[in-house]
Amino acid sequence: MSTIALPRSVKNSVALLGDPALLIPLVGVGVLIYLAVLPLFMLLLGSFQMEVAPREFVATFKNYQNAYASQYTYSTFRNSVIFASGSAVLAFALGTALAWLVERTNTPLRLVFIPLAVVPLILPGVLESIAWIFLLSPKFGYINVALMSLFGLESPPFNIFSLPGMIWAHSVGQVPLAFLMMVAAFKSMDPSLEESAMMSGADTLQTLHRVTLRLLMPTSASVLLILFVRTLESFETPALIGIPARIFVYTSEIYLAFNEYPPDYGRGAALAVGLLILSAAGVWLYTRSTREGKRFQTVTGKAFRPRQFDLGLWRWLGCAFLMVYFLVVVLLPFLVMLWASFLPFFATPSLDSLQKLTFENYQYLFGFRPFWGAMKNSLVLALMSATLAMMLTSLIAWIVYKSRLPGSWMLDFLAFVPITVPGIVFGMALILLYVAFPIPIYGTIWVLLIAYVTRFIPYGMRSASGAILQIHSELEEAAAASGASWWETFKRVTLPLLRPGIVAGWIYIFIVSFREFSTSVLLATGDSRVLSILLFTMFEQGQVTVVAAIGILMILTLLAVVTAFYKISGRVGIQT
Amino acid sequence: MYAMRYFFALMVGALVLSTLLFAGYVHAQGEPMDEVHKKALKEGGTLNFYGTLAQINAAKVLPAFEKRFPGIKINHVDATSDKLVARAVTEARGGRTIGDVLQIPLENVVQAFEQGLLVEQTIPESKEYPEGMKGNYWVASDLQFFIVAWNTKLVKVEEEPKQFDDFADPRWKNRMIAEPRDLELLMALAKYKFKSDEKAIALLKKIAANNVEFHSGHSQLAELLVAGQAAVCITCYSHHYPGRIRRGAPVNYMLTEGIASINATAVFKNPPHPNTAMLFARWIASQEGQKAMAVGGRTPAHPKIEPVDKTRTEKIYPISAADIKEYPKYEKIWKEIFNLR
Repeated sequence: MSTIALPRSVKNSVALLGDPALLIPLVGVGVLIYLAVLPLFMLLLGSFQMEVAPREFVATFKNYQNAYASQYTYSTFRNSVIFASGSAVLAFALGTALAWLVERTNTPLRLVFIPLAVVPLILPGVLESIAWIFLLSPKFGYINVALMSLFGLESPPFNIFSLPGMIWAHSVGQVPLAFLMMVAAFKSMDPSLEESAMMSGADTLQTLHRVTLRLLMPTSASVLLILFVRTLESFETPALIGIPARIFVYTSEIYLAFNEYPPDYGRGAALAVGLLILSAAGVWLYTRSTREGKRFQTVTGKAFRPRQFDLGLWRWLGCAFLMVYFLVVVLLPFLVMLWASFLPFFATPSLDSLQKLTFENYQYLFGFRPFWGAMKNSLVLALMSATLAMMLTSLIAWIVYKSRLPGSWMLDFLAFVPITVPGIVFGMALILLYVAFPIPIYGTIWVLLIAYVTRFIPYGMRSASGAILQIHSELEEAAAASGASWWETFKRVTLPLLRPGIVAGWIYIFIVSFREFSTSVLLATGDSRVLSILLFTMFEQGQVTVVAAIGILMILTLLAVVTAFYKISGRVGIQT
Repeated sequence: MYAMRYFFALMVGALVLSTLLFAGYVHAQGEPMDEVHKKALKEGGTLNFYGTLAQINAAKVLPAFEKRFPGIKINHVDATSDKLVARAVTEARGGRTIGDVLQIPLENVVQAFEQGLLVEQTIPESKEYPEGMKGNYWVASDLQFFIVAWNTKLVKVEEEPKQFDDFADPRWKNRMIAEPRDLELLMALAKYKFKSDEKAIALLKKIAANNVEFHSGHSQLAELLVAGQAAVCITCYSHHYPGRIRRGAPVNYMLTEGIASINATAVFKNPPHPNTAMLFARWIASQEGQKAMAVGGRTPAHPKIEPVDKTRTEKIYPISAADIKEYPKYEKIWKEIFNLR
């Protein structure tokens, strides 16, 4: 990490106690404690409290007993572990295979595939699960119906309402992440070891098995770990597929503890604390493993380009794999959503249903007030969260990496905390905090704004700090030497240079805020409802074809905003 | 002179008496709703409506209220009844009342009352309702009929069910779906159809042996049935089908026998908009509100208002307010029979 000497003005002011410069990290620490730590404290407190009479609480360990020693403890634990490990392994296997084909082989069309592989990132998790319900429901799922009539099967080959079904629906959404991480790993791999293996007579498969995969072991372990943690924290698939199938995992148990009558906050909080610890341990292991990994990197400065394996005729099989993946995993969910959005009621594709196609659902949405309210809320929240989070994190990143202001390590740590907190756990913590908070923001979109900004601070930090570390200190020193104060330096030199990183971070946070579900599901109601929650509620209410139409409009809105932002930022000279 | 004074005193007395009588009458009738509307407008023009009314029904019912009482906008917090009561309890725990009106199945209204969340009051419109359709803190808003529905592509005309008992037949094995919380089926069979717990349990055990698939949410059940997930739904709502049939969905439903349960309206204790809450509670119980419910696709609870669609069954097994006290007993048996959590 490179740090620079502070501009003179800052040095002087730090020396003077009570100067505003000292206040900046202090205020930052205060803001982050308020945003990220206070809700978790309330959660911890809630897990040791039991309500004996209305608004009368006693301290107790019983919640933990109820949460972890009930007749369902084992099944929840087992389901969670199978769901998380199954999804991690499947997403990793698919992501790695795609990354290898694209990055290290001569498979045709591989370059076209790179942008297509990451398209599913834009598809909200709720929609992904709904699309797979349409496709793989045992009796009416399009794929099942097609296979049954094609091969004359008596029973459907797939059942989405099962643990394997949950694993599939969730993991396909995780593949782009695994793909991007593994592409990076393949890119940075020194090819000399593989070349040695080939020279010693090993064929492609032997080299892949004995050298390439083994070299990738440390990265693979960390990718698997992060996929495991992300699945454990997820709630989209457990809500839409798990709960109807009566397959409960930790996130659904927490949700039900809050949403079933009588609500059991203590048990919910105790479960949430457990999930928080698991998730934090996973993130800690991940950061440790990636740090360890870096120790063994050989930064030689030697310009190398990993060699490409010649797959021979097999390359066509590779190409077929890429195409099947794209068609089945990327295109099919979108197409099924599009098809369903034009149906008056859900039906399998047939001549009969073709004749029934209608614009009814879109017409219905046009006059459907809750849809427009939710659309407005989602857009406002995504725009504000992205903007606020990037403003906050660029300032924090600058303090952490470029200043020597005291307490900056603390800021770095606090800005990292939210990444360890599962969305549903954070939602629960915010309810416990804000339901009795003197400022009446509970039940409004402001509590959602606080939730989104806090949860996505770590993403903002990643983009902002990446950009900040690339800015050479000479530029700031030059500004300081010309008499600029630290604030002026930040505003006129650092911030403009940070723009590309900020734009990338802004777009990412916009997308994840717009599709956010697991925190909103506990916090958004009535007038503060967002699109993902409207989708969930209406799906629960059985208006599935209207849900499909909302989904299509949601995807189009996301694409439109992201494209517009790219265009605008391009016009003002920002390249991402 | 004496006669004049006497006459004058008599007139004054009559005037006072008639004023008192009129005041009493007005009190019994309640303040005209338009007067309550004026007061409601002073509360900010918002109503926080905690209701299970599905969006498809709400889209017709709630705008009718907003049109009738301009200046009031309804914030519809919609979720399943469990979630709504849990939410209200959570808010009360934090020292807050956010909801004005609660409109959910009666058993959940009772839960909310037991938590001290609802106000005890009778509204003038409730006198038009028979006993059993009102209590000292609620009035029925609509009725829901648990019926049997089927997919016409998967059930032949000759095998169409006529009564609940039919599903004991093994030919229905692996062809049924139901809602996991619908213990009303057991309760109604035990208390009203067979008048015997044993007989009802025996029938449901035979049905359970045919492997019923459970899915949460009645609307979702209807949609699953339309899509062909199962041949028959044994605990569906009758009001979910006429609209779907009109749109050409391949479904039909049984109107020979059904279980009636009550959805009720109640007002929260110390709501943020008390007059607005009262206005809505009165309007939805009035003939005008009940007509809006009928047009919105529900089965009105008001004895004089008929549903627009065929949703009432010929034989009705009504789950009464008194029956609700026995829910825990039947819930336990229901879960045991079907091995539910």
